[in-house]
Amino acid sequence: MPATDQQASFLGRISIRRNQVISVDGNNDQELEDLELFQKHVADRFADLLSPPEEVASTEPLLSISWLRKLVDVFLCCEAEFKAVLIMCREHSQICKPPLDRLIPELMDRAVKALDICNAVSSGVDSVRQCQKFAEIAVSALEQKPMDDGQVKRARKALNSLLTAMTIDDKENRDFKGAERTRSFGRRGNTNSANKERAVGNFRSLSMIVAKNWSASKQIQAMSSNLVAPRGGEPTGLALPVYIMSSVMVFVMWALVAAMPCQERSGLATHFQIPRQLTWAHSMIGLQEKIGEEWKKKEKKGSVGLLEEMQKMEKLALSLIEFADGFQFPGDTEKMEEVASQVAELAEICGKMEEGLVPLQTQIREVFHRIVRSRAEILEVLEHAAKISQPTT
Amino acid sequence: MEPPENSDASGGAVAFEDAQKIILRWDSTASEEARERMIFEGDREEVDLYLKAVDDIQKSMSSTSISDDQDKVNSATIQIAMARLEDEFRNILLNHTTPVELNSLAAADPSSSVHSSAADEYEEDDHVGDEDIQDQIQRADSSASNGNTSYRSTSSIREIDLIPQEAVADLQSIAKRMISAGYLRECIQVYGSVRKSVVDANFKRLGIEKLSIGDIQRLEWDALETKIRRWIRAAKVCIRILFASEKRLCEQIFDGIGTAVDDACFMETVKGPAIQLFNFAEAISISRRSPEKMFKILDLHDALMDLVPDIEVVFESKSADSFRVQAAEILSRLAEAARGILSEFENAVLREPSLVPVPGGTIHPLTRYVMNYISLISDYKQTLIELILSKPSTGSRYSGDSTTPDMEFAELEGKTPLALHLIWIIVILQFNLDGKSKHYKDVSLAHLFMMNNVHYIVQKVKGSPELREMIGDDYLRKLTGKFRQAATSYQRATWVRVLYCLRDEGLHVSGSFSSGVSRSALRERFKTFNAMFEEVHRTQATWLVPDNQLREELRISISEKLIPAYRSFLGRFRSHIESGKHPENYMKYSVEDLESDVLDFFEGYAVSQHMRRRSQ
Repeated sequence: MPATDQQASFLGRISIRRNQVISVDGNNDQELEDLELFQKHVADRFADLLSPPEEVASTEPLLSISWLRKLVDVFLCCEAEFKAVLIMCREHSQICKPPLDRLIPELMDRAVKALDICNAVSSGVDSVRQCQKFAEIAVSALEQKPMDDGQVKRARKALNSLLTAMTIDDKENRDFKGAERTRSFGRRGNTNSANKERAVGNFRSLSMIVAKNWSASKQIQAMSSNLVAPRGGEPTGLALPVYIMSSVMVFVMWALVAAMPCQERSGLATHFQIPRQLTWAHSMIGLQEKIGEEWKKKEKKGSVGLLEEMQKMEKLALSLIEFADGFQFPGDTEKMEEVASQVAELAEICGKMEEGLVPLQTQIREVFHRIVRSRAEILEVLEHAAKISQPTT
Repeated sequence: MEPPENSDASGGAVAFEDAQKIILRWDSTASEEARERMIFEGDREEVDLYLKAVDDIQKSMSSTSISDDQDKVNSATIQIAMARLEDEFRNILLNHTTPVELNSLAAADPSSSVHSSAADEYEEDDHVGDEDIQDQIQRADSSASNGNTSYRSTSSIREIDLIPQEAVADLQSIAKRMISAGYLRECIQVYGSVRKSVVDANFKRLGIEKLSIGDIQRLEWDALETKIRRWIRAAKVCIRILFASEKRLCEQIFDGIGTAVDDACFMETVKGPAIQLFNFAEAISISRRSPEKMFKILDLHDALMDLVPDIEVVFESKSADSFRVQAAEILSRLAEAARGILSEFENAVLREPSLVPVPGGTIHPLTRYVMNYISLISDYKQTLIELILSKPSTGSRYSGDSTTPDMEFAELEGKTPLALHLIWIIVILQFNLDGKSKHYKDVSLAHLFMMNNVHYIVQKVKGSPELREMIGDDYLRKLTGKFRQAATSYQRATWVRVLYCLRDEGLHVSGSFSSGVSRSALRERFKTFNAMFEEVHRTQATWLVPDNQLREELRISISEKLIPAYRSFLGRFRSHIESGKHPENYMKYSVEDLESDVLDFFEGYAVSQHMRRRSQ
C-alpha cells in the first residue's frame, strides 16, 4: 500500500538522521529536532509531487488520479507526523497561551471545513464516475468491428451526454427544476437539450449533498484567510508546525477541489497564497503556481475540474463527436486508424478511472477519519489543559 | 411480452422487413408523428407489435446467414429501436413519479412508537396536519398508484408499490430487450436519472435539511435537538419504506437479469439521499462534547442501532458496503461521544467553580442539575450499560491530591461500571458542595447547607427505582448517615453555646443550694441567652430547609433540647429574677414564646415578615 511504503522510506530517513545528530542536553532540543525533521519531510514529500523521478513522471502526471492518490497519501503522512509533534510536546500548557490559544482553535475550524470538502470531493468523484459510464458506452460502441452507422450513432449519443454533463455549470445545476416533467416531445428532435436534461439528472446528485449556497471556493478562502506565517527567527514553539500543517491541509483541499467537480469554485486560483521565503514551502508553491495557471486557463469554460483524465476525456470526446458527425460507412482508412487509437486511449482512461476512483474515495474517507480523530484528540488536550489552569473550589 | 420462440426461415425475411418498417416508422429523428406519440401510452396492440418487431430484428441479428450489408442494416435498425425504447422507458418512468405521502406512512408506522422515553416523537412541528390520520392513509393509497398500495411487513421493513404493476411489466419488457441488445448501460443510465429525481423529491419532503458539518457545529444545541428528532423519524421512513421500496422496484424491473444490474440501479437512485442522511448523523457524532448533549446523542444512537438490521438488508450489496461501514462508524462514534460526555460531565461537576454561597443554605442549583441529570441517565440505563465499560477514574487515597476525592471500589463489588460512575458522580458532587460550604461565614449554615443538599440527593435516589437499584442501599445508607450527621453538626454548632447559658454550674455560690445563687451571674446568663437566641432566631428564620419533613424534624429536634432546658432553667431560677428589679428585661421569653419562635426557623423569611404574617 502506498501509505506504508512512503512512511517506511521516511521513517527510515528519520532514524538515519537521528543517528547523525550529536545529542544535546535538554528536551527542548529534541523537540527542535523533531520540528526540523517535520519541515524537511514536508519539503521532501512535496518536492516528490512537483518533480517526481523520471520513471514515475510519465505514469503519474500532475492532477491525474494516481497523482491525487499520492497527494492524499502525503497529507496522511504529514498529518501523522504533525500529531506526533503536537501531542508529544511536553508543555501542554503552551496550548492555552498566546499564540496557540488562537491558532489551535483556528486549526480546528479549518479541520471542520476540510471535512466538508472531503465529502464534497467524494461526491465529485461520483460525478466523474458518471462521466466514465457515458464514455464506456461510447467506447463499447466504437470498438465494434466493423464500425457501422448504428454503433456510431449510439456512440455519438453517449458522447453528447458526456460533454453536456461535463460542461454543466454549477449555476445551471442549481436553477434547474424538474425539467423532465415539463419536457414536450416537440423538442425531441433537439438531441442536445434532451441529453442535457438527462445529464442534469446525474449532476443533480452533486447538489444533493451540499446546501444550495455552499461554495467550495469560499470554504478554501475561509480556510486560508487567517493563515499567517509566524514571524521572526525566535523559536516559535508549536506555532510553526501548526502553520505548516495548516498550509498542507489547505493546499491539499485546494488541489482536490480544483481537480474534482465541486459546487461553486469561481475565483479558486486566487484563494490561496503562501509566502515565498519559506524554504519548506518551495515545492508546494511551485505546485500551486502550476495548478493555478491551469485553473485560470480552464475557468471560463465552466470546467468540470482539472482532473487529468477528465481533461483528456473531454478532448477525446470532442474529437470523436466530430468524427461521429461526419461518419459515413465504411469510413476513410486513415481516419479509422486514428479513431481506433483515440478509442483505445479513451478506453485506457476509463480503465484508469475504474481502477483508481474507488480507491481514491477510500483514501479521502481515510483523510476524513484521520481529521476527525486528530481533532477529537486535540480538543481533549485543550480541555485537559484548560482544567489544569482552572482553580478549583 | 415474451419474444417468440422460432419462426421458420422462409417467413423470416418477410417478418424482418415488416419489423424494420415498424421500427423505422417509430424513429423519432425521422418523423413528426413518431415524435408526438408514445407507443406505450397508446394501443396495447401497437406495443405488442413494436416489441415483436424488436425481437425479430434481434433474432435476425443472431442468425448466421446474413450478409455484411444486412448486418449493417440490422445494426442501424437496432440502434434506432434502442433509442426509441430508451425514450419509452424514460417516459413510462416519468409518468409514475407522484411523490409518496411519506409523512402519513410515518404516522402509521407501528415501529415508530417504540421509544417512549424519547416520547416527543409526534410534535406540533410535524407535517401531519389537522386531518385525521386515517384520511391521510386513504389519500396515500390512492395517490401512490392506481389504488394498489400493498404493505408487506418483513420485520420492520415495509415496501410499498411505487409504480403500478402494469407499468412495471412494461419496463421489464423494455429492459430485457435493451439488455439483450447490449444496451445495458443506457438502460441503467435512464433508470437512474429518473428515479433519482423522484427519490430526491420524496426525501426532501421528509424535511431533512442539507447542512454541512460546519453548519452543524455552529448551530445551537436546541436547534440541533429538533433536527435530530426529525432525523430519527425521517430515517426510519427513509430506510424502511423509501429505500426498501426502491430496491424492490429495481429487483422487479430487472428481474432475472442478475443482481449486479438491480444493485447498480438501486445505488444510482438512492446514493444521494443516503449520503445526506448518514452525513447528518455523522456530523452530530463528531460535534464537540458537552453534558447537555448526552440524551439526544443516546436517542440518536438507539435509533440508528434499531435501524442496523434494516440497513443490513437494504444495503446488502457489495456496492453499498460504504453505507454499512459508515453506519457502524457512526454508531461507534456516538458511543464514544456518550462516554466522552459522561467524562466531561464528571469533570464539570468536580470543577464547578461558583463561589457565591446560596442564600439561606438551601439546595444548590448544581445539586438539582446533577441529580436530574443522573436520574435521566438511569432512564437510559439500558443503552448506557452497554456503552459505559470502564470504571470512573477516581483519585487515589494515597495520592495526596486534595483536589479530587477518592472512592474505594472494594466495597462496591459486583456493580456495573455505569453504577460506579453514578456513585462517583454523587461522591464528587458532595466533594464540590463541601468546598462550597466552606464559604459560609457561619459554620452552622455550612452544616445546614450540607444537610439540605445531601438530603435532596437521598430523596432523588429514593424517588427513582432504577437509580436506587444502581446506587444500592448500602451507599444510600451512607448518604443518609451523612445528612443526619450534618444535622447533628449544625445543632452542635448553633445550640451548644445557647444551651450553655442554661447550665447549672457557675450560678451557685459557696456550695449552698437554695440561697447561694449569684443574681448578677444569673442576670448575665439570661441576658446572654436572650441575645443569643434573638440573634439565632433572627438569622436562622431566614435560612431555608426546603423539605417539609426535614424541616419539621429539625425543629422538633431543636425544641426537644431547648424547651425542656429552658423550662427547667426558668423553673429553678425565675424567683430569683422576679424578686429583683425589672424582671422583664431578663425573662424576655416565656416557654410559649420560644416554642412559637422555633416555628420561624428555616422558613426562609425574615422574622418581621413572620410577624406580619401571623397578625393577618
